[in-house]
Amino acid sequence: MPTDADADALVEVRDLTTMLSGKAVFDGLSLDIPRGKVTAIMGPSGTGKTTLLKHITGQMRPDRGTLRVDGQNVPTLGREALYALRERIGYLFQNSALLTDYDVFENVAFPLRQHARLPEVLLRNIVLTKLQAVGLRGAARLMPSELSGGMARRVALARAIVFDPMLILYDEPFVGLDPIALNQVLKLIRTLNRTLGITSILVAHEFAAVRQVADGVHLIANGRLVASGTPEQLARGESDWTRQFFGGEADGPVPFQYPAGDYAEALGFTGAAA
Amino acid sequence: MSADMKTKAPRGGMLVDGLAQIGACGLFLLALLGAIPRSLRHLREISRQVWFVGAMSLVIIMISGLFVGMVLALQLYYTLSIFGGTAALGTVVALSLYRELGPVITALLFAGRAGTAMTAEIGLMRATDQLAAMEMMAVDPIAFVATPRFLAGVIAMPLLANVFSMLGLLGAHLVGVTWLGVDNGTFWSNMTSNVDVWKDIVNGTWKALAFGVVVSLIAVFQGYTAPPTSEGVAYATTRTVVFASIVILALDFVMTAFLM
Ligand SMILES: Nc1ncnc2c1ncn2[C@@H]1O[C@H](COP(=O)(O)OP(=O)(O)O)[C@@H](O)[C@H]1O
Ligand SMILES: [Mg+2]
Repeated sequence: MPTDADADALVEVRDLTTMLSGKAVFDGLSLDIPRGKVTAIMGPSGTGKTTLLKHITGQMRPDRGTLRVDGQNVPTLGREALYALRERIGYLFQNSALLTDYDVFENVAFPLRQHARLPEVLLRNIVLTKLQAVGLRGAARLMPSELSGGMARRVALARAIVFDPMLILYDEPFVGLDPIALNQVLKLIRTLNRTLGITSILVAHEFAAVRQVADGVHLIANGRLVASGTPEQLARGESDWTRQFFGGEADGPVPFQYPAGDYAEALGFTGAAA
Repeated sequence: MSADMKTKAPRGGMLVDGLAQIGACGLFLLALLGAIPRSLRHLREISRQVWFVGAMSLVIIMISGLFVGMVLALQLYYTLSIFGGTAALGTVVALSLYRELGPVITALLFAGRAGTAMTAEIGLMRATDQLAAMEMMAVDPIAFVATPRFLAGVIAMPLLANVFSMLGLLGAHLVGVTWLGVDNGTFWSNMTSNVDVWKDIVNGTWKALAFGVVVSLIAVFQGYTAPPTSEGVAYATTRTVVFASIVILALDFVMTAFLM
């Protein structure tokens, strides 16, 4: 159990409980995200990884529990304070969420135009630098509809880092990337973390990629933290959870099936047949 | 699974749902108005939207105005000639257009053309997480997306209604003077001496402004609250046309009664 004395945590989640459509997505979840590290959040689909990121950024509020980001309890923040905090957080949406009205350049420039009065030359240089970092400087004048899923993801990544945030949240950044782009994005995550010291939270399913960048992994299932440690520790599979998750077995503590009634009954094989 | 587990609250039928919608729409209007000071920082976005809704509706409104004016002239010429009053053609056409048909038909066309586009656009922005992305970039989507579109509609409607009426006059002149042979001088002089700029044209402009407020409010509200699915957005777009049309015609009656 993590304690409140942990001063090195940028994000502290304590006893988080959230009900969504009558189901407890979080059931007393507690975890720490250490400052200056890359922490991966892993777990079965539908377990609430995206929802956790939305809680950390105040897009959703929990029913109970606290979420401290850099000392501030997010669920209690007002609009102004929340927006001030978000200016220091980069967020990579699972589906990129580029603004379809603007081209690639203007999408990346958007946060700068909204929050900083910069000379056009400087703004242009910053945007082109970020686009170069994701390998898409040449695509600056394309519209989002002209990009593939992987390209859109990289533009969204450039946009998320344009302000050099203190914290970046990546929601499944590797999906749909070819091996070359995947390597670039991995390198970028590592560089942002190692050279600028940006704390990163990485939601991903690709363990091979995760173990290359993550300093620590939190495995969540059934609304709770079920295992955490370095990628190597988890890969050794010392608990039922990790054995099942990393071994990809359908049976174990995590049910493969979404909770449902009796299968035979649903197919109409009970009672009436007799 | 019993039915009461699926519905969150007991439903009071269409009346209660309708009242709840109107209440939510009223609160949304307050949010829009409250965001005006903040959205003034996005002047570029407001002018872009004015240009967008204006340019989008201009052609259809000009063509419709021309034909409505032509039909008016034909019908009224026939009626007036029974009383030997064709000299009043210009006056009657101008009054009908500026006081009534200009604002009302422009608003109906505007709802169908620009209103639906606003609803669909905002609904899709929600469905593709663009509004959430703005929130995450510390940009308030009400101030950046909703209010500029609302203001653009409010600004564009009176301008478009006046364009409609002017083109209507042109159409009436074509039919009345060029085709049916009403004297050109009579057409204009009778009109200018009987149409009161303040009473008639300004009253019509007030109407157009009021229609601009309700159509834009309905369009933006429907888009902003549409369920984030293709079906939800499609349904919201339809509702914009239906609700806006009803409100325009009802409000027209009320305003006419008060402004007469
Ligand atoms: N807005 C919402 N309303 C109701 N249920 C939701 C909502 N968002 C997510 N959920 C539910 O919460 C659970 C976690 O979703 P999510 O965080 O997207 O999972 P993942 O770990 O795959 O990112 C899912 O069971 C999903 O059905
Ligand atoms: Mg997810």
